[in-house]
Amino acid sequence: MAEKLRATPLLDELEKGPWPSFVTEMKKSAAKNPMANDQLGILEHSYRDKIGHWKHGGLVGVMGYGGGVIGRYSDLPEEYPECAEFHTIRVNQPAGWFYTSDVLRKLCDVWEKHGSGLTNMHGSTGDIILLGAKTEALEPVFSDLTEMGFDLGGSGSDVRTPSCCCGESRCEWACYDTMKFTHELTQHFQDELHRPAFPYKFKFKMAGCPNDCVASVARSDMSIIGTWRDNIQIDQKEVAAYVKNGLDIDADVTSRCPTGCIKWDGKALQIDNTNCVKCMHCINTMPKGLAPGKDRGATILLGAKAPIIGGALLASVLVPFYDMEDAEDIYELAEEIWDVWGEHGMNRERVGEFIQRIGLGNFLEQIGLEPEPEMVMHPRTNPYIFFELDEEG
Amino acid sequence: MATTTEVAEAMYAMVKEYHGKKNLKALDLRKAMIEKFGDDNCDKKICKGAIRELIDSGKCTYSYVGGSYIVLPPEA
Amino acid sequence: MSTPAPRKTDIGPPHYEQFLPEVIKKNYGKWKYHERPKPGVLLHVGHSGDKLWSVRAASARLMSIETLRLLADIADEFCDGHLRFTSRNNVEFLVVDESKVDPLIERLNKEGYPVGGTGPGITNIVHTQGWIHCHSAASDASGVVKSVMDELFPYYDGSKTLPAKLRIAFACCLNMCGAVHCSDIAILGVHRRAPVIKHDQLRGQCEIPSTVSACPTGAIRPTTVDGRETVEVIEEQCMFCANCYTVCPAMTLNDPVNDGLSIWVGGKVSNARSEPMFSKLAIPFLPNNPPRWPETVAAVKNIVEVYAKDARNYERVGEWIERIGWPKFFEMTEIEFTKYHIDDFKHAGETYKRSLHFRQK
Repeated sequence: MAEKLRATPLLDELEKGPWPSFVTEMKKSAAKNPMANDQLGILEHSYRDKIGHWKHGGLVGVMGYGGGVIGRYSDLPEEYPECAEFHTIRVNQPAGWFYTSDVLRKLCDVWEKHGSGLTNMHGSTGDIILLGAKTEALEPVFSDLTEMGFDLGGSGSDVRTPSCCCGESRCEWACYDTMKFTHELTQHFQDELHRPAFPYKFKFKMAGCPNDCVASVARSDMSIIGTWRDNIQIDQKEVAAYVKNGLDIDADVTSRCPTGCIKWDGKALQIDNTNCVKCMHCINTMPKGLAPGKDRGATILLGAKAPIIGGALLASVLVPFYDMEDAEDIYELAEEIWDVWGEHGMNRERVGEFIQRIGLGNFLEQIGLEPEPEMVMHPRTNPYIFFELDEEG
Repeated sequence: MATTTEVAEAMYAMVKEYHGKKNLKALDLRKAMIEKFGDDNCDKKICKGAIRELIDSGKCTYSYVGGSYIVLPPEA
Repeated sequence: MSTPAPRKTDIGPPHYEQFLPEVIKKNYGKWKYHERPKPGVLLHVGHSGDKLWSVRAASARLMSIETLRLLADIADEFCDGHLRFTSRNNVEFLVVDESKVDPLIERLNKEGYPVGGTGPGITNIVHTQGWIHCHSAASDASGVVKSVMDELFPYYDGSKTLPAKLRIAFACCLNMCGAVHCSDIAILGVHRRAPVIKHDQLRGQCEIPSTVSACPTGAIRPTTVDGRETVEVIEEQCMFCANCYTVCPAMTLNDPVNDGLSIWVGGKVSNARSEPMFSKLAIPFLPNNPPRWPETVAAVKNIVEVYAKDARNYERVGEWIERIGWPKFFEMTEIEFTKYHIDDFKHAGETYKRSLHFRQK
């Protein structure tokens, strides 16, 4: 069905320029779909009056799940009736965001049949986002998606859709199999993902190396970042070739080493691995010459979040090194954390804020981990120590 | 041990009692049920099953207002 | 009537393996190294000697199914239907036949999905929904992103390079769905007026105790209006976080004049050289000026250009500023330093200067 496009003089300005235009994308959908056309109209309205026109809606979803659908209603239903209900559906992406053209087309067919035709590839947490469904379309979309092997992602106070970098599938630096781990973790926690039972959201992100291409240290409650414990692997011939081809190894590599543990004597590279902090810089600059060691695993960090409510946090170290041999260990650790946080956490308190409130030392005691110096930047500077009363003499 | 259905019924009574006064989270229900039935008769797993029974039967539904709650369906 | 098929639930995502190209299945966990033969192209080489070219193209993130079908057709034509998306919303075509690389680049550029975003430059801006779909947005997201990327495009397609990679992120309110707080440059939507309370709506939709406890500064307290229970806001105590609005939709914040954007600089998430760090405030407020937000575009471009000129190789924005010091950053960028730059939330004192380590003016 061909639609007469809403007039959008302001948005039309954003069809100019070299960067792909979201307005062009909206018009492509609007030409065929009345919901997308009204959505185009309401966005132009926002560009005119400089405020958003969406309200959050509390009670939409698919039967049995408490997450996966974000309810949205517009505050201008009379003017833009076709997008009066415009819910978001989060669809759990395949780990690593790999697709075939076939499966992508099938997803498009489902969305053409039931919704606005607009998507995000992908949302901030990692899901495929289907943008703009009416309430009546939710069950049919869900049924078609599960039929083709897809399921909904998380939303609300639950495990949010875990996501990861492409890891061993296409990166020589991956220190564990992020995609396999992420897929299995997601399958293991299906109930926690679909049926919210926490004080607030809980995100997992998996990065294969300390470069952290998925920003897990900033964006996930539990961040699992690949690392190694032994010596950086060196191919001296390839290192020499980089130098011969013009790499200024002193200025750009050795002098940038944060611990000064790497030396170039004009012929060979020497690394004092006992002082290497696995920052990746030398490996990043010479991928042919250097590689992470062979004794690989991950560091597990906890507690990153955006500002709401108590201020933004980066994750901090919980397990300095885990060999990633048995995923069950990590599932158990997560469940321990959820029990303690579930019992004592306040409404809308992320696990990072919870730890700040009760103190990392107390938290470790509750989940049964021993304190280690790798967990702090430095020991405390204040003398207000809560000595335990059963310590005597 | 209490049965899942017994716990589900007690949870449902609680959701009804608090309806319009306070939204309850899954964790509020769990804590209340373990207290009501006692540690020996009720645990995390039974509560999880009971919530699932309430939701799957349509007696309760999930709601989101800055957090996920278990509430009566809108028409109730 | 036939019996409906049993409802499937909790099946989880499809297994990724079925979507991987043969070359990845074969070399999974056995890649040896990679190089960047040209802007927007990564070449991965396996221990087996197998080669994989990944051709990276920009997307608007917001995409119609028409575009996804086009991308699928292009993938069929050039790489056996294999493609993936990146954590920064780019699309990558996975090519095993080297002779297909240049024609693919040409095709993507022609279709309006330009190739680039690798190496020391600027790639796609991670961003949020903005006015497209969000209830708490203080600005649009896609429009600002489009305007900034149009201007910084030479740093994307490789015609200009930077000392190191520079990651820009955009979030349309303090909820930060885009978690922008550790980006080289972050653009963040801010509200600047206390919520306007719709008392009639509040009575039907909100719990008073949870609305009161939603406020991190204790600025909301219960009160009575027209003989009925509701809440009030102590305006001087409000820091415009909008947490109350998420808990109670009757606490509305959107304001056409006082909402706008702020700019933050110097964050990073990688461990390369320095530890991960937060972005810090550079500009507290810029107006919402659709459709192209010229003040914001100019502010971001200015910071990028000053950085490009002064930073050393491999120095990220945050590392550059740590070397030159914040006074010099403000001097060089000609950004005004105000009282808003000085923290006054929890642990604010940790950010006050305690040494005499100043550089020459």
